[in-house]
Amino acid sequence: MNILKFFISVILLINFFSSDLKAKNLGTKITKNLRCLICQGQSVYDSDSEFANSLKILVEKKLDDGLNEKQVYDYLKNKYGDWILYDPEFNKNTYFLWLLPILMFVFGGAIILRKVILKKKKL
Amino acid sequence: MSSLIGYYSLIFGVGISILVIFFSIKNFNDTQNLDTKIISLVFLQLLFVIISFSGLILSFVNSDFSNETVFNHSHTTKPLFYKISGTWGNHEGSLLLWLLVLTLFIFVFLLKSKNQPNQYRILTLLFQQIIILGFFIFLIQTSNPFNHIFPVPKEGLGLNPILQDPALAIHPPILYLGYVGTSIIFSSALAAVCSNNITKIWASHIKKWVLVSWIFLTLGILLGSIWAYYELGWGGFWFWDPVENVSLMPWFALTTLLHCVLVLEKKLILTSWVVVLSIATFTLSMCGTFLVRSGILNSVHTFANDPERGLYILIFLFILIFLSLFIFLIFHKSENNNTKTFYLLSKETSILVNNWFMMYFLSVVLIGTIYPIFLEVISFQKISVGPPFFNKLILPFLIPFMLAMAIGPKLKWIKSDVEDKTYLILFFIVSLILSILIIRNLDINFLYNTILITAAFYLFFITLRDFFHAKYRNLSQILAHFSFSILILSILFNNIFSSEVITNLKINETYQDQNLKINFESIKQENKQNFKAIKGKFTVEDQSGSIEVMQPELRIYNQPNIVTSEADIKTNIFTDKFMTMNYVQNQDYFNIRYQVKPFMIWIWISTILLCFSGTLSFIRKKYES
Repeated sequence: MNILKFFISVILLINFFSSDLKAKNLGTKITKNLRCLICQGQSVYDSDSEFANSLKILVEKKLDDGLNEKQVYDYLKNKYGDWILYDPEFNKNTYFLWLLPILMFVFGGAIILRKVILKKKKL
Repeated sequence: MSSLIGYYSLIFGVGISILVIFFSIKNFNDTQNLDTKIISLVFLQLLFVIISFSGLILSFVNSDFSNETVFNHSHTTKPLFYKISGTWGNHEGSLLLWLLVLTLFIFVFLLKSKNQPNQYRILTLLFQQIIILGFFIFLIQTSNPFNHIFPVPKEGLGLNPILQDPALAIHPPILYLGYVGTSIIFSSALAAVCSNNITKIWASHIKKWVLVSWIFLTLGILLGSIWAYYELGWGGFWFWDPVENVSLMPWFALTTLLHCVLVLEKKLILTSWVVVLSIATFTLSMCGTFLVRSGILNSVHTFANDPERGLYILIFLFILIFLSLFIFLIFHKSENNNTKTFYLLSKETSILVNNWFMMYFLSVVLIGTIYPIFLEVISFQKISVGPPFFNKLILPFLIPFMLAMAIGPKLKWIKSDVEDKTYLILFFIVSLILSILIIRNLDINFLYNTILITAAFYLFFITLRDFFHAKYRNLSQILAHFSFSILILSILFNNIFSSEVITNLKINETYQDQNLKINFESIKQENKQNFKAIKGKFTVEDQSGSIEVMQPELRIYNQPNIVTSEADIKTNIFTDKFMTMNYVQNQDYFNIRYQVKPFMIWIWISTILLCFSGTLSFIRKKYES
């Protein structure tokens, strides 16, 4: 049961890691993932500040210029730094961020399996 | 005057703390003393803190601006209700409230634990007093709420308008009842380790405190969430903001602990784990306070920050952690493992699975919240960890988690009962078909969302059936799991089916698309006690032709001079209609945001049901098996 659950979740994780709810509008999706740099804890999409509004226009313009989602993020990252992206990229700075929780999960699963299986053998 | 009384009450409180510690150690083996002398000392301490707190409230009510805290956070034109709630709407006052709850809880603990071993009670009191003393010193040294200003200012600086709100007025006290409740669990677990008192009786005694903390923490988070929904003006209720996260972390730990204690109450297993969880829960609550108060986090809530305070809490936290680890390693005797067995398909194993997932969720939130801080310190790189990160790491794991929640509590019966197995499979097929029907025509990832919703529906149906199933009438458990399924379902549907229009309109202008028509009718201005309100009037006509009048509002507060946007929300049991308006700079236009958010109210209702299930478990005399 446990092993099964574990494999199901790993497979799901691998399959759907990159898939997110597809936003109807790419611009909306992108601006929801951007931090409004002059607000406190708000995304560009949710903010009405001048900075956010100019960024919304900028994102639409870049999309019109033919950039894809990744290119828009890269462009903004170069301009404002990683701080602006709510969805941290997987790179050498964030290996631990992404992998540590997964490792914890695997580790915890191993402990439980050991506990249950060892106990079973003793019987 | 009331400030002066308040300040001296605090000093007396410190004195009593020292006295209590002294007498507890001196009369460690004397059973008579505790219920006569020491308990009255503890009561006296509570009284002094109450006097001190009332003194601060009085200073706020009277707008006594010779008090620095009042000056910084109040204003004469503020309504009385917010003058009072302003007492804890700031750093100093909220810490005094912490202290009040700390002393209140230890007093209640002493009253309610009379049938417990005496040594255990004294030790709990001792650990609790160490925490209390720490907070007293912290309060007096770095954040005295009674600082005097001379010359006395004529007018105060006012309370941040977004905090002037009924939900947020009661949010801190409720949340603190939850946070501080964990301190009793912490002290009690350490005392139980020291006095070798980890028994089934202890488990059912501490379960009450775990439940109380859990109920209040859940309610506190709910209130914060409701507030964010209607006050912050973007129509969301959870942003994975660091301050939201730090309240969620003790919640995960507490929920895990609750499940473990329920097992411990019946079988003496997992004792070390329960102690570790008790320590972790309180540590996480303290960490929350530290992270919020030190100003390390970039968030809407950092209304007060000061490095000295952060440093003090950090040192205090480390002392407590080392103390508890020391006690745990020296005194703890782990249970005799050989007699206990974990069957693969048993309730105990399903509790382990619950723990496993809860710890995983906790680690995601913990790492996601503090990793950016560490990275910045180490490499000067600033990164943001926001909603996409948490959604990616948490949502997929909800699928096996909810399946386990559905099946786990009844594993005991499944082995023997064939009828049950048929139901389990039947419900799964029904859930799957239902989910496919719902997701089919939507422009979202089909497979992923279908499986997610199937799991939620499955939990929903299984628990719904359990209500009418005579064999296992553990009502609070069924209700809790049932409400959780409603919570997840409504969050998912809310996410998938929400729609939104953002547009700029002038008065008498109309926005129209194929689904709805928004007409900006008029605008009017009202003068209130401490703000000017600009009320817009809009009519919204949807496809079916029904017309709704929406009146969002802009408030221009006098002191501090801040404009806030008040959403107008029309709620019914299926859907919320949500509208805000904002100025567009230097133009006649207003920025209008209109949202239709299905099942919004069910998010609140399910959380309230969750708290109610905790209450049920609390008032029930014995754990039914």
